[in-house]
Amino acid sequence: MPIEVINLSHSYKEGTPFEKQVLFDINLSISAGEFVGIIGPTRSGKTTLAQHFNALHIPRQGKVLIDGLDTKDKQADLVSIRHRVGYVFQNPDYQLFAPTVGEDIAFGPLNMKLPREEIEDRVRKAMAQVGLDYKTLYNRDIFALSGGQKRRAAIAGVLACKPQVLVLDDVTAGLDPRGREEILTLIRELHRRQNITIIFISNSMDEVASMAERIIVINEGRVIMDDATREVFARIEELRSIGLQLPEVTVLIDKLRSAGFNLPAGALNVNEAIRVITAALREMEARK
Amino acid sequence: MELTKNITLGVYLPGRSFIHNLDPRTKILAAAGIIVLLLFTRSYSAFALSAIFIGALVSLSGIPTGYALRGLKPMLPVLAIMWVFQLFLFKTPDATVYFHWWIFEATDAGLHMGNLIILRVLFLFTVTTFLTLTTSVVSLTDGLESLLKPLRMIGLPSQELVMTLVIALRFVLILAEELEKIIKAQMARGVAFDRGNFIQKTRKIFPVFLPLFIGAFKRAEELIVAMDARSYTGGKGRTKMKTLHMGRADFMAALILLAYGGLLIFIIISTKPMI
Repeated sequence: MPIEVINLSHSYKEGTPFEKQVLFDINLSISAGEFVGIIGPTRSGKTTLAQHFNALHIPRQGKVLIDGLDTKDKQADLVSIRHRVGYVFQNPDYQLFAPTVGEDIAFGPLNMKLPREEIEDRVRKAMAQVGLDYKTLYNRDIFALSGGQKRRAAIAGVLACKPQVLVLDDVTAGLDPRGREEILTLIRELHRRQNITIIFISNSMDEVASMAERIIVINEGRVIMDDATREVFARIEELRSIGLQLPEVTVLIDKLRSAGFNLPAGALNVNEAIRVITAALREMEARK
Repeated sequence: MELTKNITLGVYLPGRSFIHNLDPRTKILAAAGIIVLLLFTRSYSAFALSAIFIGALVSLSGIPTGYALRGLKPMLPVLAIMWVFQLFLFKTPDATVYFHWWIFEATDAGLHMGNLIILRVLFLFTVTTFLTLTTSVVSLTDGLESLLKPLRMIGLPSQELVMTLVIALRFVLILAEELEKIIKAQMARGVAFDRGNFIQKTRKIFPVFLPLFIGAFKRAEELIVAMDARSYTGGKGRTKMKTLHMGRADFMAALILLAYGGLLIFIIISTKPMI
């Protein structure tokens, strides 16, 4: 399901003295099955842009086509768009509103007016997918969940709608390393096994570098880079200048390079870094 | 979906106008005075004078008139319903009947009563909003506290009362933001808030209230902890960083208000009330 953004601009509090433009003339397209990372400093407009992808924001200027449907179109079935493009919010507290875990996860399917058994089945499967125990947690009070469990429940609630595109807004924030790794593995599997398009917004460059195939960099409401992950992280100085924290391995390789080691730029994860460093060391040995 | 866009009550719009710079006590007393006069206003010409006066104040403050009136927008449906009720249900024995349907009668008395109530609500709302638009929360608090100080003598906890009031005012906007987030979360999973007619939209609003109240309680608890963490103990022994001073501008404002009040009272007495 392709998403196309054409000349999109957006302002908050339009028509009031507090009006503030947050997106400026954005153009991009995301094809079915892609794994796209969106990065940028805080308040750069990432979330606002992403909320256009499932018609939570309707463009005033420019347009957004989701699977060819113009979200501005008064006849467009926005509900169906929102079920097909799942959105996991930045803060699970904003997303979970039903009293119990089971009820919250069933909220989406219930709105799709599916038969009872189908809903139960989807809730069970979604809980299993995110690693929440159905038996003990189905009737658990939402407020009795830990931070990590809330995250999982929020993701499960979206997965229960069986989206074709999944927008994840900084979903690993505030998780411990293990919880983070589990969520990331889940996301990778959703992409690989079910071919779900993933739009992954994150403030952790390490995560984005190791997960996404393509990266869109946003700064002050404008797309400043849109390229393959490797190409984007090769532009170290530009990323630094807008205040982004680079992936640790990229920084390491960069430091080694400036210290005079002959290494290729733009290693994205630890394994790659190990490979290029050992290769360089062997070469040095051989030269000796 | 932007709810906060239409909320102006409790919002402060910084500025440097004559009105912004007045002592908050002057503004609070003036707003109270204007409101009391409005409660006695019963004729169209008196309302017209009030409209001119308040309009002049708004343009003097530099606040865009459209923005000052914006907060009324969400209230319009409710006002319309109130107006219809008055039109059909309020009657006087000598009223002229415009038309008759089943057990309902639209009379001229009902029409004027409807107009009177709506005008009053509109004016009350605009005056209060105008006060908060031109006065920051801090000076509003200081002003109210200073005005209520004499009541401490009879044992009224004025500082605490003002604190409660100001928190309530702040929560208008906080709750609207919270509401927006919940609505967005429900929209993202298939509730079509932005589709359907007025009644359908209203029905969809109900499942939003439970999480809203839970969120409000959570917010309140966080606020308590934050106040405790900064050793808030109520009004006792508190000192002020900024002290309030009445100046020439406040004296002028008082004169202008007295002139307006006098003229308005004259018009109220000399003109025929609408009902």
